[in-house]
Order: sequence, then C-alpha cells, then structure tokens
Amino acid sequence: MVLRARGLTRRYGRDSGLVRAVDEVDLDVPAGQALAIMGPSGCGKSTLLHLLGGLQRPTGGQVWLADRRIDTMSEWASARLRRDSLGFVFQSFHLMDELTAMENVELAALLAGQPPRRARQRALHLLERVGLADRAAHLPSALSGGQRQRVAIARALCNEPLVVLADEPTGNLDSAATLDVLRLFEELHTAGQTLVVVTHDPRIAAVADRVISMRDGAFADDRQVVGAATGTVYGRRR
Amino acid sequence: MAGRLLFICQLLVRDLRRRRTETVLLLVAITAATATLTLGLTLNEIADRPYQQTRTATAGPDVIVTPRTTGQAALDELAARTTAAGVTDHSGPFPIAYLTMTAHGRSAHAVVEGRDDAPVSIDRPAVTDGTWVRPGGVVVERAFADALGIRTGDTVSIDGHPLRVTGTAVTAARATYPYAGWHYSGSVLVERGGLVWVDRSDIATLAGSQSLSYTLNLKLADPAASATYPVGDQLTTWQAIDRLNGRLYSDAQMTLLVGSWLLSGLALAGVAGIVAGRIIGQRRRVGLLKAVGAGPAMIAAIHLAEYLVIGLAAAATGLVTGWFAAPVLIRPSAGLIGSVNAQPPALRTVIAATALALTIAVAATLVPVVRAAATSTIHALADAATPPRRRRWRIWLSRRLPTALLIGVRINARRPRRARLVTVNTLITTTALVAVLIVNTQAVHFDLGYTALANPRVERGEQATLVLTVVVCVLALVNAVVSTWTAVLDARQPLAVARTLGATPGQAGVGLALAQLLPAVPGVAVGIPAGIGLVAFVSIGEVQYPPGSWLLATALGVLLAVAALTAVPAMVATRRPVVDTLRSAPT
Ligand SMILES: Nc1ncnc2c1ncn2[C@@H]1O[C@H](COP(=O)(O)OP(=O)(O)OP(=O)(O)O)[C@@H](O)[C@H]1O
Ligand SMILES: [Mg+2]
Repeated sequence: MVLRARGLTRRYGRDSGLVRAVDEVDLDVPAGQALAIMGPSGCGKSTLLHLLGGLQRPTGGQVWLADRRIDTMSEWASARLRRDSLGFVFQSFHLMDELTAMENVELAALLAGQPPRRARQRALHLLERVGLADRAAHLPSALSGGQRQRVAIARALCNEPLVVLADEPTGNLDSAATLDVLRLFEELHTAGQTLVVVTHDPRIAAVADRVISMRDGAFADDRQVVGAATGTVYGRRR
Repeated sequence: MAGRLLFICQLLVRDLRRRRTETVLLLVAITAATATLTLGLTLNEIADRPYQQTRTATAGPDVIVTPRTTGQAALDELAARTTAAGVTDHSGPFPIAYLTMTAHGRSAHAVVEGRDDAPVSIDRPAVTDGTWVRPGGVVVERAFADALGIRTGDTVSIDGHPLRVTGTAVTAARATYPYAGWHYSGSVLVERGGLVWVDRSDIATLAGSQSLSYTLNLKLADPAASATYPVGDQLTTWQAIDRLNGRLYSDAQMTLLVGSWLLSGLALAGVAGIVAGRIIGQRRRVGLLKAVGAGPAMIAAIHLAEYLVIGLAAAATGLVTGWFAAPVLIRPSAGLIGSVNAQPPALRTVIAATALALTIAVAATLVPVVRAAATSTIHALADAATPPRRRRWRIWLSRRLPTALLIGVRINARRPRRARLVTVNTLITTTALVAVLIVNTQAVHFDLGYTALANPRVERGEQATLVLTVVVCVLALVNAVVSTWTAVLDARQPLAVARTLGATPGQAGVGLALAQLLPAVPGVAVGIPAGIGLVAFVSIGEVQYPPGSWLLATALGVLLAVAALTAVPAMVATRRPVVDTLRSAPT
C-alpha cells in the first residue's frame, strides 16, 4: 500500500459546536490506483486530503505513506516528505503570479535541492508532457484556467511523487478545460501514477478505478471499477 | 459637488476610525519629523528673544569698550570715546579684574566688575534675587550662579577673599556664562567664565597685585549703527553679545536641524510603507467605487484627503510638541529674563512644519494612490494584490541559492519598493547613529576641562543629541515592524505554496527574515560613510573619528536589531498551519 489510514479522525470545535470533519476513516490505496473521492459540500473531502498529505494533523488515527507514519512526524520531516513524495493540486491553482510557467514548475525541484540545470530540464520535460511546452515563458496571467491547472499538475509531478493529491482540480474550469485535465489524469493513471482526486465531476470519477462517496466525514460507499470508461462495476466493499 | 464632498468626508472618518493603529503610526511618524524641525527653528527665536527683553529691561548699551591697557592709560583712552560722533550717552568706566571664584569647593573664572550703589543711565543689571552690591558683598550673574549652585546668602571666595552673595542679577552688557569674556590679563585668548559685581571700593583689594582694567558702556543715536563697528578683544556690540549668547544653543540647533532632515527621511519611508500596506487592503473598495462610477480623480481624492488630514494633524501636534519641548530642552539661559513662550511660534516655523508634514504625506502616498486609481475595475474587484513585478535576474540568481535565501530573494523580488524602503530605513538610522557617535567622541576630546563645571553649551548639545537619538530609534523601530508586518501579510500565500511544495516552516521563516535583512545590509554599509560625511559637512572644526570597532559595532547592532525585529513576526506567521493560509488566500 502506498497510502494507508486507520481510524483517521479530524474534529473541529467542541460540545455543541463539535464538527466531525473526518470521522474514523480506514483507507488503503495501492500503488497505481486512481481514487476519486466524491460527496456533498462540507462532508470532509478536503480535510481528508489534507490529512493524507500531512498538511494538517489528525485529532485521532494514523496515516502511513509507503509504510512511514506521517501523522506524528515533525513539521520539518513532513515538509521533507511533501517535497520528495507528494504532489498537491488545488482548485485555485496557487501558482506564483510573478513566475513564468516554467519557473513555477521548477520551483518544486529547486526546493527539493536539485541543481538549477536539472530542475530546468525536468520542468521543460513536464511542461511538454502537459502540452504546454510552447507556453513555458508565459506568466500565469497570460494563461487560461485550464492551462494554469496543467502547470500546477506539472509542478505536482516535478519530484516524481508517490502520490498526487488533487482537491477539486476542475472546480474552477469550464468543460473544455476540464476535458484537458481529465485526459492528463488518464495519461498519468496509465503511466502508473497513484492519484487521489477529490471531485464533484462525474467525468473525473468515471476515469478512476475506485470511487469513494463521503457523507458527514465517513465513507458511505466504496466501489472498485474496471474499464473506467464504461464504468462497469465489478466489485463492492462494505 | 457637495454630495461628493460629503461622501469623501464620510469615507474619511470611517477609514480613520477603522484603521486606528495605522492612523496612529502615521501620526507618530510625521509628528516626529515636524516636532524636531519646530524644535530646531524655535531655538533661534528663543535664543534671541530673552536677550532683547533683557536689553530693554536693563537699559543695555549699544557698544562696550574694554581697552587692552590698564590703569590710568585705559581711563585716558576711554575718556576720548565718550565724545565720539554718534554717541549720545555713556556709563562708566567701571573697573574690571579677571580673577577666580570658588564656591562649594568648585572654582571658575570670574570677571569681577566694580559698581556703585547709585543707579547709572546705561547697563543697570536687573536684580533677580536679593539686593544690589554693597561693600563686602558680591552679586553673581544668574547663569553663573546656576552653574555653580550659588544662592543668595552663600559665602564665596574670590582669590581667597571671602564675600557674601547679596543677590543675583542679569545684564545685557556681557554675554551670559560661560561667555563673559574672561582672559588672563594681557592675553587675548578668551576662556570660559562668568560675571560678578562687587562694590567699587572692594575691587582693588580683590585684584591684589593685578592692575585694573576698565570697561565703558556707550549708547548710540542709532543702535543699529553699532553693527558696523569692528568687534574685537577691546570692543563689542550688543549684536555680537546676542550672537554669543546664541552660541549656547548652536550645537543643539545644528543637531536638531540636521536631525529633522534625517527624521523627515525616516518618516517618509515609514509613511510610504504604511500607505503601501493600506492600499493593498483597500483595493477591493477601489474596485467597488469604480463599479459604481467613481472616476480616477475621485478615487485619488478620497485617498489623498485621508493622508492630508493626517498630515495636518501631525503638523499641529508636531508644532505644539516642539514649541513646548523647546524651553525644556533649552532652559532659556538663567542669565536672561523674560518668558520664552509668551508668544506663539513664528509664522515661518508654522509654515515650515506644515509644509514638511504635507510634503511627507503627499510624497509617500502619491505613487500608490495614483496606481490604485488607475487599476482596472475587474482587477481591483478580484482583490488581487498589485500583480507582483517580475525581476528576471533575481529569479535566475536565486535558483542557485539555498532554500531560505531563495525564498528571501524572491519575496523581495515581488515587492522591490518595500525592499527599498527597508534600505532607506536602515541607511538613515545608521547615518544618524554614526553621526551621534562622532559628535559624542568630539565632545569628549575637545572639552579641556579646566573647571569641574559642566559646559552649558555641550550640555545642551548633548541633550539635543539624546532627544534626536531616541526619536530616530523609535521611528526606525516603528518602520521596521510595519515593514515586516506588511511583508508577512503579502508573502503569506507564496510562503504557503512553498510549504505545500515542501519548504519547512523554518526555511519559510528564515526566508521572510532574510527578505528584510538583505536590503538592510547595503543600507548599513552606506550609512557609515554617510554618517561620517554628514558630520564632516556640517561641522566647522576638525572631525575626530571614533574607533573603527565602534562603527562596526553600530553596524552590527543595527543589523541585529533588524533581524530580531523581523524574526518574531516571521516565525509567528510561519507557525500558522498551511491549510488555513491557503483557504483564506485570494484565488
Ligand atoms: N478550520 C475549521 N474550523 C471549523 N470547522 C471546519 C474548519 N475547516 C473545515 N471545517 C468544517 O469541516 C467540515 C468539512 O470541511 P471540508 O472543507 O473538508 O469539506 P469539503 O467536503 O471539502 O467541502 P467542499 O466540497 O465544499 O469543498 C465542514 O463542515 C467545515 O465546516
Ligand atoms: Mg473542499
């Protein structure tokens, strides 16, 4: 298992104001799986993703990434982990406005301590892969929403992460741009990249080989899928 | 038009109230500059006015003649003077002896003048305490008495002869302590000393073997005419005495005037920093105003009005502060009478202080205000900060640096203007501190210290320096905190992104602190020669330089202070969970 969680819990507030954003969740993500997490707004999808990526500490339970406990790690160690083993994609891109597409992507490699030349090569390669090689020198303000998100995905892939965690990556995109991102995820999946994607978009879910539905911080449904495009259900757990 | 004005006023009042801290900081910054300027300019008037009042009250002479010769030769020389052209009246000649007075175990040079009990037409010293001279008694010039701690009724000794102090008095015929014009008889080298009066019958005893000098007071038909008289060791005029009295304050005055330039620079940097931070926060409102149809002129007017109001308030506060602080700092020489604050500050002081305050307010706000007025409505509505400018070479360079430095350089590359303000702030602070250091070295080296008494001129200079140092440090502190805080606010989102990419909180915090420290380095480096140059430029005499280790310590001290001031908010900012920042950051 690349990613494993047991009894994962995140609560906010107390007494009458208590919110169980994530409530005793068990999760196993094998290498190469494309997992989609769906559910109504406020059910705890983003919180779960943050917990899995070490951006936030759980109030209970454990998380392992490639057999290393990450929920008890120091801030410093979990930063290293994010740098080397995780890639994040956000709904609102979070690109740096003053850096070109290329520089945004290579920033991840530079932070990981790669020499500038190697970082640049890697960034170029990734931009090519997301189909934006010709936009490398553009500032984010000169890119469309879909293009920006593809830059963000390239950045997430920069250090060959074990898992890419995406939070509603198409939430700010129109359907054409959504298709671009969708195709990119499909390609990544085919190439064996482990993906965890929080989404409202059934089309994204359709390319996943496992779909989890969340309600009130817990898993309501967990389906394994084969032939993602056809959506054939072959198995059901729980 | 009236509706618009009302609208502007409403927004203005609401803004000032909502952003109290910033308003207060702006007030403090501008007030510091105007108060120091007022103080510097006021010293002029204060130094001048009491002498005029004293001159009127004591029937001060226009010309005072004290020949180099002594005894009968001097009397003969003076007799001719009383009938010279333009002279309408005279008093004297009065006998003079240059002796030493000891009181409470401390000694000082004393110019001893012999007087009669009967009043004279010119130079009637005004007795401020006790009574006028009588045999066996002595009247001490008030500033001199103050310096020696002498009171009426004390016993002092002049060249070993005990005398009872019958009173203190002031005069316009001689400069106040320490400029009474004391010298060894026959010498032209004037040393520090004070004036005392004794009964004419006593002076020969006091002088002992020393032959007496004589002084004569003349009144001219046209008092202004004495300005053309050749002032030297044998002759002086009321204008020269006025100038000499003013010398008491000349160090303090120079310090404060130069200090007010430095403080204006600091205030400008501080105000610019605060305004830049405020405008970022006001962008959404600019967008809304534009969406409802306000033009660029209207937008600019709304923002400028606010700073003009603050500027005017600061000018008033500064004027009042400076005006009331001046007599405290200057302790209008006890050797003169008349109250210094009887009249309001001179018009030119008011104009200068107001102009300075408004200039600072407008200069610091013009660029960001115009920029805000010119941004597109959509952009402002989206509440995106002014798109950070791209510094190609810095981004290129920083790729090769360790993570914390990379972050620091890039934070500054985003907001070069703020980085420049940090440079200006440290430059001016270092310049001021180095200048103060040199001035202090100077005072120590040049005080020959033949008397245990403090030199009132040095004392006043030192007080002015102290005031200036404190104000500079406070302003620099305010500036550093404001600049760090705006940097923290502005860099929140990029830092959060860097942390999702794996930068540690330590690297992010150090990066933020480095962003402040890096531009401080050139400021400090240039500040040292600038401080030395400043003192060399404004001082007349030879400049004594403090040891290099002191300068180095000053430089390191400033950098250390910046680092310490920056580290705290930087660390606090990076303690915040990444997720919170990403959530609240604008998209
Ligand atoms: N800092 C917080 N303090 C208190 N409650 C919080 C906090 N952050 C999230 N919550 C609550 O936790 C619950 C889950 O939030 P989360 O952001 O994970 O939902 P989500 O499923 O991602 O929703 P959406 O689809 O709208 O993004 C919500 O009820 C939310 O109100
Ligand atoms: Mg969410």
